[in-house]
Amino acid sequence: MENPIKNISYDALVIGAGIAGGEAALNLANTGFKVLLVDKELSVGGKMIMLSKVFPTLDCSACITTPKVSEISRHPNITIFTGSEVGEIKKISDHEFTAKVTKHPRYVRVEDCTACQLCEKACPQNVRDQYQFGLIGRKAAFIPFSICSPKAAAIDIDNCTLCGACEKVCPTNCIDFTQEVEVMDLHVKTVVIATGFDMFDAKKMPRYGYGQYKNVITALQMERELAPTRPFNTILRPGDGKVPDKIAYVLCVGSRDASVGNPICSQICCMYSIKQAQLLMGALPMADVTIYYINIRSFGKGFEEFYQQAKGMGVNFVKGKIGRISEKEGGNLLLRYEDINEGKLQEAEHDMVILSTGVLPNKGIDKFFVNETLALDPFSFVGQSDMLASPAKTSIEGVFVAGTATGPMDIPDSILSAGAASSEAISYLIQQA
Amino acid sequence: MKKKKIGVYICHCGGNISDYVDVEKVRQSVEGEDIVFIAKTTMFACSDTNQRDMVDDIKANNLDGVIVASCSPKLHQLTFRNVSIRADLNKYTYVHANIREQASWAHSDNKMGATEKAIHLVKAAIAKARYADALETNKIKAKKAVAVIGAGVAGMKAAISLAEKNTEVILIEKEPFVGGRVAQWDSLSTTTETGKNMVKRLYSELTKHDNITILTNSEVIENKGSVGNISLKVKRTPRFIKASACHPDDLKRAIEVCPVEVPDEFNFRLSNRKAIYKNYPSEYPQIPVIDVKNCTRCGECEKVCKAVDFTEKEEILDVEVGSVLMATGFDSYTPEYGEFGYATSDNVITLPQFKRMIDTQFDKLTYNGKQIKNIAYIYCVGSRQTDGENTYCSRNCCTSTIHAAVTAKQKFADINNYHFNRGLRTYGKQEILYADSLRSGDIYLQSYEDGLPTVITEGKKTIVKINDILTNGREIEVEADLVVLVTGMVPRADNTIGSLFKIPKGRDKFYNEVHMKLRPVETVIDGITIAGACQGPKNIAESVNSALSAATKSYSILSKGELETDPLVATIDPEKCTWCGACEAACPFDAILKVEKDGKTIAEINNTVCKGCGMCAPVCDPDAVNLIACSSKEIMSMIDALV
Amino acid sequence: MAELNKKSAKILVFSTEKISDPAIDMAGLLKLHYPPTVYTISIPCSSGIKPSWILYAYEKGFDGVFIAADGSDCVFGESCTEKTGHLVGKTHNLMKENGIEPARLRMAAICSVCSESFVKQMRTFNEYLLKTLHA
Repeated sequence: MENPIKNISYDALVIGAGIAGGEAALNLANTGFKVLLVDKELSVGGKMIMLSKVFPTLDCSACITTPKVSEISRHPNITIFTGSEVGEIKKISDHEFTAKVTKHPRYVRVEDCTACQLCEKACPQNVRDQYQFGLIGRKAAFIPFSICSPKAAAIDIDNCTLCGACEKVCPTNCIDFTQEVEVMDLHVKTVVIATGFDMFDAKKMPRYGYGQYKNVITALQMERELAPTRPFNTILRPGDGKVPDKIAYVLCVGSRDASVGNPICSQICCMYSIKQAQLLMGALPMADVTIYYINIRSFGKGFEEFYQQAKGMGVNFVKGKIGRISEKEGGNLLLRYEDINEGKLQEAEHDMVILSTGVLPNKGIDKFFVNETLALDPFSFVGQSDMLASPAKTSIEGVFVAGTATGPMDIPDSILSAGAASSEAISYLIQQA
Repeated sequence: MKKKKIGVYICHCGGNISDYVDVEKVRQSVEGEDIVFIAKTTMFACSDTNQRDMVDDIKANNLDGVIVASCSPKLHQLTFRNVSIRADLNKYTYVHANIREQASWAHSDNKMGATEKAIHLVKAAIAKARYADALETNKIKAKKAVAVIGAGVAGMKAAISLAEKNTEVILIEKEPFVGGRVAQWDSLSTTTETGKNMVKRLYSELTKHDNITILTNSEVIENKGSVGNISLKVKRTPRFIKASACHPDDLKRAIEVCPVEVPDEFNFRLSNRKAIYKNYPSEYPQIPVIDVKNCTRCGECEKVCKAVDFTEKEEILDVEVGSVLMATGFDSYTPEYGEFGYATSDNVITLPQFKRMIDTQFDKLTYNGKQIKNIAYIYCVGSRQTDGENTYCSRNCCTSTIHAAVTAKQKFADINNYHFNRGLRTYGKQEILYADSLRSGDIYLQSYEDGLPTVITEGKKTIVKINDILTNGREIEVEADLVVLVTGMVPRADNTIGSLFKIPKGRDKFYNEVHMKLRPVETVIDGITIAGACQGPKNIAESVNSALSAATKSYSILSKGELETDPLVATIDPEKCTWCGACEAACPFDAILKVEKDGKTIAEINNTVCKGCGMCAPVCDPDAVNLIACSSKEIMSMIDALV
Repeated sequence: MAELNKKSAKILVFSTEKISDPAIDMAGLLKLHYPPTVYTISIPCSSGIKPSWILYAYEKGFDGVFIAADGSDCVFGESCTEKTGHLVGKTHNLMKENGIEPARLRMAAICSVCSESFVKQMRTFNEYLLKTLHA
């Protein structure tokens, strides 16, 4: 329940409303505990709600997230703050924390907004749409994306000229420029960290040309192109709007690579690339899709079979690390790589390249804990103080961690990890009661 | 009777349906049906926006029920029943039509056919909705206790977590000792703690909770009832050793004097054990056991130890619980005779055997009396099979092998490791271990599935050959002192317990969850949850995560102390019933009673016992029995709509 | 697109909610195609099917009826297989009495992952029905 009332005391604070945070919040709420769920984005659902379909079942991601999101948003035991950030968290006694939460104004009264989109049409300001990973533009008055929750407009105040066009057209007068930043001091008994992950910034590997060559995109951008609520309604290469027919995936971009500071494997890129390749083969039956890989890591339940299925569909797997990419006239791309099978350097031309970028920690959470130390692991993920026997425990008693905040993992593992974190939190709350 | 007003929602599923089924045509084909008041298409029926719209529609138009035509009811029937509840309708007025798995996807090769089928399926749902009346759920008291089956780390952790949540736990273990697979290991990857120590830690936590009963040497032999009230019979085989009289030195003597030797399964048959035994000194519970299957009753042990007591009897215990959490683990794959030289070459062993060797030997690594220097590891034995049943990847073996190889190199002198792999899968942070192993000089040789390495025995020599793709397909030979077959995890060969609880298995033969993402620890059997490697290969942390998730699920089912059960039971038409007893004989649950009503002997259904299977219906000659929501009038009107 | 014009037989499948439904759903998930004139009615257990329903289906125009039985996986108990077999026998007799070829009723155990076997059954049953009824 999105709710502006400052209920100052909750049983649990869950930071991050992605699939892990959402699952943890639901488990806590279903066993009778009051939960505050905070997310810095304008919608709950995290990264998963933005995805097209999920491996290895090819269920649409929205079909799995939206019902959960819907359950979370109307649960009587859950209060949601979107567009909000957690600040200082202090342990004040054995079973009590205080947390500062800053709620940024949306400049829209969510309860009155009908998501009619008239404000979007009226707004004269165009900016890049972060929820479509910059593939297209949006307005400064905008609905974040079609299946967002809460489904309500927001004003991007940094890009707003305060022209008032949106206010004039709004049929319910829900736009409210008088809203101010609210800072709340909350008391909670336990904290679940579900702050998720960051994607590796492909611009840090200039030899692949991301940001320089228009037809080199990231897998997350391709995810939006493939999603049911997709921006172009078909697959296009961004350079010239041509439908691509020779597509390349470059795996391990920013993973397993000490030279960019990330020596570990991101665990999901092989599978999401194989999934996208299968979806591309379905959407563009004439297209060639090639995946350049070091090792294919299809280790989960049904994953190896999914990989074999992709091979059977005709996805081309080439074992080789891409050295560099250069752009040809007309926007095609030349990939230089060491072909392990042939044992020599090769070149291949593709008309679109997708970089399967890796998973990085979403840094900064440790800074919030002011009088206790939240230990991190060597890769800056949240440290697990008893990794094998209690994977959700952190260095602070009463603070638990769920999902990719502890390291790269896929959706099923994130959900199980959230199950573990909420289980520990429930036990912790029951034991002190 | 007043004519019903129904709303029909046809879902695009963001293209999953509408790419193959003309959803607008489906809508048009059904909007004219007499009871259909609203017929709409929607991008995502399950989205929050559409759910709100449905509630508004129901309230604004006083609808009597709704139908959603979308994905399988396994995914979202519950979602839409809840929508009905929020709109103040009884949830049983909701009817679901599956036009994704059973139309758009199944017939994606034939759009016209898929559309036609979808139309018929929605019409059948309308036929069913005609009779879908409000029903009251039965409320039953639920026993706030959980049986956890299997006391490996997953089961132990689940038990602790449930006990912390003030839930009574019966932890049932078939073996005489707890700890499962993890008790077999000393060194573990990603931690400095040993497996045995982890088991010790968990055991001491278990024993801190008064609400946990640990039953070792015990097996469930009977399962009756259903979620909320499950009655189990547990057979407990005696240890034949009295705990109270147990003096450690005497027991040690008793083991020494036992003349029986059998292969030690705990040590993967690398050595033998006695008929009275403990697997390792600090094992829990800390009382040895007499293995009745192999004991000859010679009485030698009795002579030296007062604690031995052959008068102990097998017990059958009655256990009443509300939910069962399965954590029965996995078997290690046993290679076929001759598979990579297994059982045909002297120098070929499996990974679990190798791990035991590293743990139990010191200074020098030897096998069959010979010192080991060159070790060849052959990966994916029994996993990722192209010609066998095990097509899946076993997930944990790459990391486990590299960890064993690195440990061997650190512990013993002059070890050279050669890894014959099919692409390393040290996912996530485990990658660091792979990098360490490369740095320490381990050699990695790789092939694809069509060029697997071969093991050749030449006299006493064992040679492993491969065409290594990493060196451009060059044929490479390694003379190995020891060949370690990296055997993966396979489902338990003995599935007695799985059959007893009717737990469905997936394509890989591991227990199957309802939905990998929506309900990952639940099974289709209400109240039965699954944890750890019985659901699929997992490492320790992953098993523990799933155990804690399953514990939360079992707990939340029972935490209210009360459960709602489906009122979809059998009914008897007293007019038609002539009491012949055929239904009584057919009922597997004793839910049919013989009663006198208005001077007539008829059958009556005990609603709280009836499970709604319908076995009584076809055997009734006067056709007096029907199942609610599956009665003849419903089925026949659905047939009318489908044909 | 040749598939479009090809006639297929009308087959009614009685499938069970916990055991064969998941297999039929998975056949869809894996895009294992079978004739679109195969329609499924879900029931709790295959031993609860009344012979009168099957006869009604033929009367209304179904070419074939297929029982996707629980087999030994039935969640309601071991007796399911025997009882389903019994009701099939009873129905076969009724079909003979009514002049309906008993081969138009088939039964096979379809476990929760028997997607391929289900699809194979549907294809061969369809071929058989087309050959004998629509030749």
